[in-house]
Amino acid sequence: MEKTRKWRWGVHRWFVLLFIILGIIGVKFFPPVQPHIQVAAEKLSETPLFTIPGIGPIYLVNTFTSMLVSMLVIILIAYAVKRAIGKGDLVPAGIAGAVEMLIEVMYNLTENTTGAKWAKKVFPWFATIMIVVLVANIVKLLPGFETVGLLHHSEKGYAIKELFSGVATVLPQEGAYVVTPFFRAQATDLNFTLSLALISVIMTQVIGLQAQGLGYFSKFFNTRNLFTKPFFGAMDFLVGLLETISEFAKILSFTFRLFGNMFAGVVLLALIGVMLPVFMPSFVMLFEVFIGLIQAFVFGMLTMVFMSMATRGHGGEEHAAEH
Amino acid sequence: MTGDIVLAAKFIGAGLSMIGALGAGIGIGLSVQGALNGMARNPDAYGNLLTNMILGIAFSEAIAIYCLVVAFLMLFVL
Repeated sequence: MEKTRKWRWGVHRWFVLLFIILGIIGVKFFPPVQPHIQVAAEKLSETPLFTIPGIGPIYLVNTFTSMLVSMLVIILIAYAVKRAIGKGDLVPAGIAGAVEMLIEVMYNLTENTTGAKWAKKVFPWFATIMIVVLVANIVKLLPGFETVGLLHHSEKGYAIKELFSGVATVLPQEGAYVVTPFFRAQATDLNFTLSLALISVIMTQVIGLQAQGLGYFSKFFNTRNLFTKPFFGAMDFLVGLLETISEFAKILSFTFRLFGNMFAGVVLLALIGVMLPVFMPSFVMLFEVFIGLIQAFVFGMLTMVFMSMATRGHGGEEHAAEH
Repeated sequence: MTGDIVLAAKFIGAGLSMIGALGAGIGIGLSVQGALNGMARNPDAYGNLLTNMILGIAFSEAIAIYCLVVAFLMLFVL
């Protein structure tokens, strides 16, 4: 564990140069093509998988396949951690050590924000959302995402050139084909972000109810002072209505924050890849790692903060008694 | 001709909608300024200020993201 690794700068820079040269050669032979960008997830199957009455046909979309990939990654990590725990080391190494560090940091953060009493209740939601979003955002940077896929007919498409039987590449000339990638970043599907946002907001209400009982709803329908002090009571009532609206605004802001960031990343990567195809996409990828990390942290952290605000009453009496 | 005008209106609308990012930029700048002032005066509060700063940035960034989503909807959906 205490081995010191020598920094092999001398070899690594030649690797970088090699990849730059390979990139230039690749761009020379296979010039980049601006992909077809659409907001809704692309359908991989022409016919619907099954039809739910009242909702409509369900297609196999390419964000679903990438969700399977990220689920696989999470399950593999969980399996590795389970095996490492089974060995019974006091100081886990490798993936288990990294996961332990992450969990410990997240738990301390939760405990500092919510207090020791509610940390056990709030932490699973925070950690689950953060790990799912983090893995989804990191997995989308794997090579093959949004580039390898099926060819579909389209009016405004590109010409193709057959490399060998069954495999073709897209050329930047006008043609009749457009690529539908097998995998696309998960968070660029509004369904994923909306369902996470709904889980987060609804569980916030549930935890608020558990903490304060029915008194939690006095935040939304504040009739405490309505009859004793009519003017300020009415004002409190209106503030309660605003709180109700802000709960729904939370769903919207959760949804569109994650979706907008990730979709902007996809568009940026596609456009930079066409304009400056050799060196620049690496930096954009690095930036995407950072954005994915920040967004996962922000999504989980906001959930945690809203939940901890829900456990505390807005009256302030219990809060004063805690200290 | 009408198709061209619709296309031009789409691009102009997408550009106009991104004006909203101005406010978010100012807001993020102000919150980072406040956090950095706090960190400079009290370096011990660094971690606490950093998390709260990121939270505040996320809130004001959401406004810019709404603008971005509207622009994307104009460009790629309509």
